[in-house]
This record gives sequence, C-alpha cells and structure tokens, in this order.
Amino acid sequence: MLRIEDFSVSYHTASGRIQALDRVSLEVPRGSTLALVGESGSGKSTAAVAAMGLLPPEARVTSGRVLFKGQDLGAMTPDARRRLRGAQLGMVFQDPFSVLNPSLRIGVQVAEGLIHHLGLSEDAAATRVVELLDEVGIRNPAAIAQAYPHELSGGMRQRVLIAGALGPEPELLILDEPTTALDVTIEAQILTLLEDLRARRGLTMLFISHNLGVVRRIADRVVVLYAGQTVETGPTTDVLWRSNHPYSKGLLAAIPRIDAKRHRLASIPGGMPDMRDPPHGCRFAARCAFAAPGCERPQDLVRVGDRQARCHRLPGIAADPWPTDDTACQRPPASADGPVLEVTDLRKTFTLSQGLRLRGWRPVRATTTIKAIDTVSLRLHAGEVLGLVGESGSGKTTLGRTILRLLDPEAGSIRIDGQEIALAPQRTLEGMRRTAQIVFQNPDSSLNPRKSIGASIARPLVRFGLARGRAVEGRVAELLDLVRLPAHYAARFPHQLSGGEKQRVGIARALATDPRIIVCDEPVSALDVSVQAAILNLLADLRDRLGVAYVFISHDMSVVAHLADRIAVMHHGKLVEVGTAAQIMGDPQDPYTQRLIAAVPRVDAPVPA
Amino acid sequence: MTAYILRRLSLIVLVLVAVSMLVFGITTILPANVAYLILGQFAPADQVAALEARLGLNDPVWMQYLRWAGGIVRGDLGISPLMNRPIAPMLLEAVLRSLTLALSAFALIVVLGIGMGVWAALRHGRTADHVISVGTYVGVAIPEFVWAILMIIIFAAWLGWLPASGYEPMSAGFGTWFWHIVAPVITLVAGHLAHVSRLTRSSMIETLQSPYVNAARAKGLPERVVVFRHALRNALLPTITVLAMDFGRLMGGIVVVEAIFAYPGLGRLIIFSIQSRDIPTLQAAILVVAATYAVANLLADLLYARLNPRIRLGQRAE
Amino acid sequence: MKEPAMSAAPAAPASLPKGPRRPMPVQMKIGLVITATIVVLGLLAPWIAPHPWDTISIDTRFQPPSATYWLGTDEFGRDVLSRLLMGTRLSLALGVSATVVSLAIGVPIGLAAGYFGGKTDEALMRLCDVLMAVPPIMMGLLVLAVTPPALWKVALVVGFVYIPPIARLARSVTLSLSREDFIQAARARYESHAYILFREILPNAWPPLIVEASLRVTYAILLGSALSFLGLGAQPPSSDWGLMISEARSFLDRAPWVALAPAAALCLLVIGVNLLGDGARELLDPRLKSRAKGS
Repeated sequence: MLRIEDFSVSYHTASGRIQALDRVSLEVPRGSTLALVGESGSGKSTAAVAAMGLLPPEARVTSGRVLFKGQDLGAMTPDARRRLRGAQLGMVFQDPFSVLNPSLRIGVQVAEGLIHHLGLSEDAAATRVVELLDEVGIRNPAAIAQAYPHELSGGMRQRVLIAGALGPEPELLILDEPTTALDVTIEAQILTLLEDLRARRGLTMLFISHNLGVVRRIADRVVVLYAGQTVETGPTTDVLWRSNHPYSKGLLAAIPRIDAKRHRLASIPGGMPDMRDPPHGCRFAARCAFAAPGCERPQDLVRVGDRQARCHRLPGIAADPWPTDDTACQRPPASADGPVLEVTDLRKTFTLSQGLRLRGWRPVRATTTIKAIDTVSLRLHAGEVLGLVGESGSGKTTLGRTILRLLDPEAGSIRIDGQEIALAPQRTLEGMRRTAQIVFQNPDSSLNPRKSIGASIARPLVRFGLARGRAVEGRVAELLDLVRLPAHYAARFPHQLSGGEKQRVGIARALATDPRIIVCDEPVSALDVSVQAAILNLLADLRDRLGVAYVFISHDMSVVAHLADRIAVMHHGKLVEVGTAAQIMGDPQDPYTQRLIAAVPRVDAPVPA
Repeated sequence: MTAYILRRLSLIVLVLVAVSMLVFGITTILPANVAYLILGQFAPADQVAALEARLGLNDPVWMQYLRWAGGIVRGDLGISPLMNRPIAPMLLEAVLRSLTLALSAFALIVVLGIGMGVWAALRHGRTADHVISVGTYVGVAIPEFVWAILMIIIFAAWLGWLPASGYEPMSAGFGTWFWHIVAPVITLVAGHLAHVSRLTRSSMIETLQSPYVNAARAKGLPERVVVFRHALRNALLPTITVLAMDFGRLMGGIVVVEAIFAYPGLGRLIIFSIQSRDIPTLQAAILVVAATYAVANLLADLLYARLNPRIRLGQRAE
Repeated sequence: MKEPAMSAAPAAPASLPKGPRRPMPVQMKIGLVITATIVVLGLLAPWIAPHPWDTISIDTRFQPPSATYWLGTDEFGRDVLSRLLMGTRLSLALGVSATVVSLAIGVPIGLAAGYFGGKTDEALMRLCDVLMAVPPIMMGLLVLAVTPPALWKVALVVGFVYIPPIARLARSVTLSLSREDFIQAARARYESHAYILFREILPNAWPPLIVEASLRVTYAILLGSALSFLGLGAQPPSSDWGLMISEARSFLDRAPWVALAPAAALCLLVIGVNLLGDGARELLDPRLKSRAKGS
C-alpha cells in the first residue's frame, strides 16, 4: 500500500544542515499496521510528514521516493497530491489540543473532508458527521458536532480527529503519536477504538510512536529508527522480545516493567549524535555496549531470518542481552525513627472565576471551586520512596507543591521532621526549606538560563550559609560528582547541556542543602527512555547513599512501580488507595486503581490466543 | 456575552472618570490665569478677584473638579472663556468634521492594510512579499506630517491638482468638498497603512504555519478553503486589537493633519485652544477624544469576542 | 519524550537562549550601519558641519543645493546640512532620554504587576489603561500646553506617555518567567522577593525589553518631532528636525529642499533603528524565522 524507498530528508536551519532521514526504506502492506519507533531526533515524525507529502519548506528530499499504491507522490502535481491527501491518506496528529481550528465548530471540521473528497452536500455531510462521531464512540454526537474544540477534553478531541480522518474512507491512516498527549486510561480507549476500526474497516496503518508498550499492542511489524537511519525491522514481538540490534536491546532493557521489579535499570550512556555532522560509521557505536573494531565503517542492514538489523556483529551477538549495571551499593535498613513527613487531612480548593453573570439585573462574579486536594493524609519515612500516581488534573502536582508550602493549604497538618508547617507563616519555614527540596519535570525550565551551572548549584549553599569562599567551589564539584557530571560543567550554561544533564543539575541543586525529603515532580517525564533509565538509577543510588526520601510524582505507572516502595493513587484530589508497590501493582483494591493499571500498555503483554 | 459587554462598559466608565481627573489635574496646574485671560492682561486686581470668586476659582481643586464633572454629566461642557460661547455645539461640529476624515481614512486603512498584509503573507518569500515588506518598512518610518509635506509639495505645489489646505462644507457642492478632503485622507491613510499591513502579514504567516492549518492541509482541502476558512479568521484576531490601537493613533494623526491642511476639526480646535490658553475647550475636547477612543476599543473587543468562540461562550479570555 | 509535531516549535519563552549562537540577520547589519553612521555624524556634528548652523545671512537665502551648500539654505540663509547635522544630536538625545524615562518607570511597574499579580497587577494595569486612554500625541499636547515649551519637557512627556507599552511588555515577560520552574526553585529556597525579581527574573527579561526599547526610540523620535512640528517642543532657532520641517512649510513651493532634507533624515534614522531592533528580536526569538527542527 505504502512504500518508502531509500528516502533521505535534510532540514536547512540557521545553525546548519540537519540530516533527519538517511536512506530509510519501509513498506506497509494492505491491511497491516507498521509501527515506526524511535526516540526524539530519530526522524520518525519527518517520515510521517513526508509520507503525507507535507514536508515544511525548509526540508529537502535528497534521495528516494514515496510510493502510494505504486504512484510516486513526489512526481505528482501538487493538486493531484492534495486530492490524494485526506481522501486516501488520512492523518491523525500528536497534539489534539492544537490541530483543531479553535474558531470552527466540530461538525464543520469533520464535514470538510466529506464535502471536498466525497462531494457530499452540506446536509448529507452533517448527517454523516453524526454517524462518524457515533462510530468513534462519542456520546451525544449531535450536540458535540455543534460544539467548539475548547469545550472538549483531549480524549474527545482525538476521537473527533480520528472521525475526521476516517470520514472520506481513506485506505491508509498515518498516526503520529496519537496517544502521547493523553492520559493512560484515555490512551487505552483510543487504542481499543483503533483496533476496533481496523477490524471493522480493514484499515492499513502507519503508526508512529516512542512508546513500545503501545506499539506492542497495535503493530504487526516494527521499524526502529535511530539518528535518521533504520536500525532494525521485523515482526513486532520478535523485535521487542528478541532484539537483534544493540540499540533495540538497550532501549528495551531501559524500560521499567510494571510487574518485574529490578534493582537497577539498564541504561544507554551518552546521547544522540550531532545530526549536522553524523558519524561516518555506525551512529550508535559511541553509546554501544557491543562496540568493536569494524563499527567505524558505515553499517549495512544485515538479514537475520526474516528480520534485518544494521550491525556488523550480527548474528553473533543476536542472543546476548544488553548488560545491566547491578553493582550499586546495598540499601541501608529502614530506619526506626518517626516519619520525616506526615500529612494529615490536608485540603486545598481552587476558585476559578468564570467572569460576570447576570442575576436579575445585578452582575455577580460566577465561580467554580475545584477540590484540588481533598482531605489527604500520608506519611513518608527516611530513605523511603512514596510514589504518587494519578492522571492529569488529579491534584498530584498541587499536593507536591503544597507539601513544600509553595502553595498554601486551606486546612490540615503537614509535619516535616516534626515541625508543623501547614499554616505557619513563610518566614518561620527557614529550616524546612533546607530539609525539603524539589526537582522539576521540565529540564529546560528548571534552570535559570542566564546562570552558569556552578552558580545555580552554589546559590542554595550561599543562601543558607552552608559554605563560604573557596569551600563553595569544592562543594559544587562534590555535588556535580554526586550526580555524575564532571566538575568542569560548573562553568557551562544550561543551553550547552542535554535534557538528561540538565535534570542531573536540577537534582544536584536540590541536594545542595542536604535535604531529607525531595519532592520529585515528574522528573523523568520529559526525557527519552534511555536517558530516563539513567536518571532513575541515579535517584535510586542517591537514596541508598544519602538516605534521602522522595515523594515521587508521576503519571507513568511503570516508572513508579520500579522506584517506589509504597504507592499512593490520586484521583480527583483524593487518595483512593495507598499501599506497598507490590500490593498496588499486584492486587489493587480500588476500582480506579484497577482501571489505571489495566490500561498501562505493556511491552511484554502476552500474544492473544 | 451580555455580562461581558456590561463588564467592558463599566470599565470604560471608570477609565473615563480617571481620564477626566487626569485632564483636569494637569490643566489646573496651568500658570495662565483664566480671569486675566477673560479680562485682559492689565485688568485691575479687584475686578480679577471678583471674577475669580464668581467662577469659583478660589474653591479647593476637588470642588472645582466636581463642579466641572457634574456639568459634563449633565451635558453642559461649559462656556469657552475666549470665544464666549458654549463649547458643546462648537465641539460637536468639529467632531463631526473630524469623524468624516477619520472614518473614511480608517475604512481605507482596514481594507487596504488587511488586503496587502494577507496578500504578502500568501506570497511569503516571493517578490510581491518582498516589495510590500520593504514598502511598509519605509512606510512605518514616515510620520503623518512628512506625508502631508510630501502631498503638498507633489500635488499642490508641483502638479497643482489639489488645494493645499482649507475646508469647504458639503453645501458648497460635493466636488468641492471632496477635493478638499482628499489630501488629508490620503495623508492619514499613508501614515497608518504600513503598520496595519505589516501586522496582518506577520499574524497571517504565523497562522498559516499553525498546527491546525497544517492539519487542514493534511485533510487535502483546496488551498483557498485552507486560507480563507481556516487561517484568515484566526489571523484577523490580533489584527483587530491592533486596529483599535491604531484608531487612537489615527486620532492623534488628525491633530497634525488638520493643523497642516487647515481643516477645521477637533484637532485644529485642540491646537487653537492650546495656543489661546482656552482651557475649558481643551479639557472638553480631550475628553471627547478619550471617549471616542474608548468606544472604538469597545467595538474592537466586541468584534473580537464575536470571532472568538472562547470569549463568546463566556470563558475567560486568557 | 514528546516530539514536536511537524513544524510547530515548542513554545519556549522568547528570552531563553537556545542552542548555538545564530548568525546576525542581514537586515540587522544594514540597520547597524545606518544607525551607527547617523550616531557618529551626530556626535561629530560641531566639527564636521561645513558652515555655522545658526548664523543668519540675508545674502544666501533660499540657495538650492550646490557645491557650497550641499543641501541648500533656508529662509535665513543658514546651511541646511549643518543644521541637519546639529539636529541629529537633538533627535537622538530626545529618543534615547525619552526611552530611558519609559524604561525607568515602566519596567519596575511591569515587574511588580507580573510578579505579585492579583490586586497589585489589577491596579497597575488599570493605571496604564488610563494613560493609554488618550492618544499619546494628545497627552503630549495637553501637558505641553500648560508649560512653556522646551525640548527636555518633550523628552519627559514622550517618556511618560510610552510607559504603558513598556510596562505591559515587562509584565508579560515577568508573568511567563514566573511560571518557569527555576523561579519555583528559588521560592523553594525561600529567596527574598528582591532576589527573585532582580537576580532571577530581570536578567532574563532584559533582552526582549532592550529590543522593545530600541524600537520605542523610533516612536519617541517620531512623536517628539511631531510635537516640535506643532510648535510645542523645540523653539527657534533650534535645528530640531520637526521644527525645521515645520518652519519650511511656508515656502514649500519655492524651497522644498529645506523640508525634504530633515524629513529624509528622520525617516532614515527611524528605518535604521527599526531594522536593528527587528533583527535583534529575530535573533532572540527563533520562532519568527525558520522553524526547522530535525525530528
């Protein structure tokens, strides 16, 4: 159905030419689903856009072609290509929040494809729109057709986009990370919908994702991209369970598993090569655990059975696993002291203004209140990791920030190291600010771009009078060493660091005051899997060496399952269930927890009979 | 929506009250003495004192303000001490003439500015875009008074096509009236066109690169549907806000243009009242300008809300 | 782990520098050359002016441009070029000092409004609304009407009427920076408001503010010259460009060069500074230009 042959694309930017795709070939047979997987910078989105013939103007195709049902898309007139788009090639984008036109009604946007490709009249299209919305599982489709995008949730919008793409009955659907922006339970619903549609309509799909669990669920075959090149292709379960290429092996070993708690994750050192000047030989060699002489030469795809991988050491290393680092020091025994953090009946309400409304003749301020934290109690012991999981809007971030008094609670008690701080005035919290620190989600935002790394880490030392003069420098070097960054990084600025490195600096800054508690607010959510593993290992090591306790906030069940000793599940501001990691993951009691865990897409999910 | 309008209206009233205080405050610091102004520079001191008492000039400032503001609320703008006649009718006449000028210029600015901006955005990176971009770049750098000088040099002094200045009422014949208003209108249009078209262009270019326009292209819609249905409406939202601000600048431009072309509107009245220290007229005129500007902003906000469902349906604008 | 969808770049605040240094845009180079030339000429004016700028000579009235008088002479026989050069200093001084006034008052207002939010924000922004409710030129006229005209007053007044736009920009930059996690981190250390405002926020807010300020210089020059043109700014025999154009009005038919020379100089200066400012803005905010991203 769709064939991409020997395709290369480069982008021309102010800072140089970036090669996004390098001689990539793939094929999607009719009725099958091919997944294109890779981390950021792998070129998978470029491939999706290229397949639609929608490359941005600064992109140049330097070799190869895209064939749809044997026709070369590049050789077509723009108008012929346009008529193909939507009609036979449907596309669903990653971010449902920005791809719907904010000023047009849902019905109008879904109807457009019907009117322009199928030649339906407005009335006929409107009827069909309601049927389509119904088909993608939207309740009350007639009312939704009249709504505007901002009135819909993310999951609803993604359904609408799928309905719009399906309207003109395309034969091929290209989905670019269609569930990445969605909560895990919504993701599961959308995946079910897609499986359903594929069975019913015999859809062919090109599915782009970084999430191997999702890929495991939806795809027949997989193409793994690294730095613009195909590194491995084959049937999904073969590639995911018995990877041949070292990169695939590493990637899979780096994924935390929800039901297999391990001491440490495998991680892939380093980062993606500079794509302005990619290495001549194997692009993964610098990070590879199997690197050997011969890697400096350009690599070809090697056939192993019905699969291919770009590594000259195959099939020799086909059965070898990616090495796991299990040399970390042992955890100290749990302390018998009282909890370092004890939260009792904490409450916080947000009041949202909805503007003025008329009550009779009198304008009154209309408000809605949201119980962001609804009577929450929890405790945390020294050296313990408490996982706080929940979907967006569950209140987990608010809870984390309220514990640190970055937000003020309404009622309840927070005791940190025995000191009651919930309602104490800010100026009395000096001690607490040293004891309890925070690590943020977004590495780009957590460091002041105009301060050197050294200055950022030194500030807490100076602020709390922990070091003076030359001692500051020494302590900064120590802290950098603690997070495994070389001491000369102190002179660098945030924009010179990768995401993972910035996150390490954020951790070093939090550690500067020797805190007993760190609130980690989605510390790995913005990172690629291979980098995420390294940060998770670092956090685990620090806990073991320093005895620091974490409140580990995340939406990712498997990450929490890996790191946390105990898990608290949050839903609509309430803790619906608290228990040990094994209890929550293995035998969840609350129906919401059960749904949440069932929804997690797992790489090692068994093949259905 | 009703609540939204009410909220905007109440804000306007508040702002106008504050502006009236500001205007009154600034003008009462004036060293020129109204009594001397009326009686002549060499009037005897006792006569001046008597008049000051009659006019209430010895009262505390806040009392004078309340008296003045009270008058305005009742529609009584006071009497021009210089021309010794009521300000209101004089001002009304001037405002109407200025509005003729402003609205015809504004209409042209909107149509031409948006048209040029959209056209340049659609030809982004091509010759037409470059020509318009360079043209507007020069355009924003030329103030009205330079445009006016150029108009006079080229069309009045050199070609002799247009009268250099003055005003003829409609009663003198449409043609005569028209020829006297052409030069000021063109000057105003020239002075503001570039700004509007530049902003429309950049807003349109940004919208054309937005994810939802990209998605519309991915649906295989014809380019004209992509441009006019998906992009234009959203691209115009920031332009509307800018147009409202430009209306304020246009009224500022009117002062200059009317002064140069001797057009007897609000702007000339303001300059005249400054030169002759006719403070009550100046106060009233500035207040009228502020009110007109506020109404223009309100209309822009309403139009914005009309085109933007997020506001129309009562959500917060942010 | 999320990849940017197609060409939509991730929304980073304009102030956060990313990646390697970008080359200076061509327009910025042109702007730099124009502006620098004018500034140098203005600074050197007393030494390079070919004739005295204020000596009246009846014999040389209304000389058209010639080898002696490159740009001709005016009604008092004064050399237009020399007056123009001296006027350069006035325009530059006015533009810069007015902008310094707007920055000095507008930036603290914007910082406070954006950082403290709530009632402070509401009050300060309503104050700006009031200042903006009257078109700048009218506000200038109003203030200048009540005091004897002088150029320094024009600079002050122009500086005042352009406080709101600076304050609003400072507010929005502060607001977006306040949401950054490094500000939360500072709050988690319980830093003082002064430290957060001046050590964390302000260094990041400067670049966009300076760019805006450079563009504001042109607004100030244009407004100031308009006020002088209307007779409320510089007074004769000053060689302020606005005043020069105004004085030339009565003999446009006989000696258009007297008006055209300062008009051209004014436009050139404004174009130069605008090119410089726009170029700098593009340098700061890569989203404006190519959005290519390898993904």
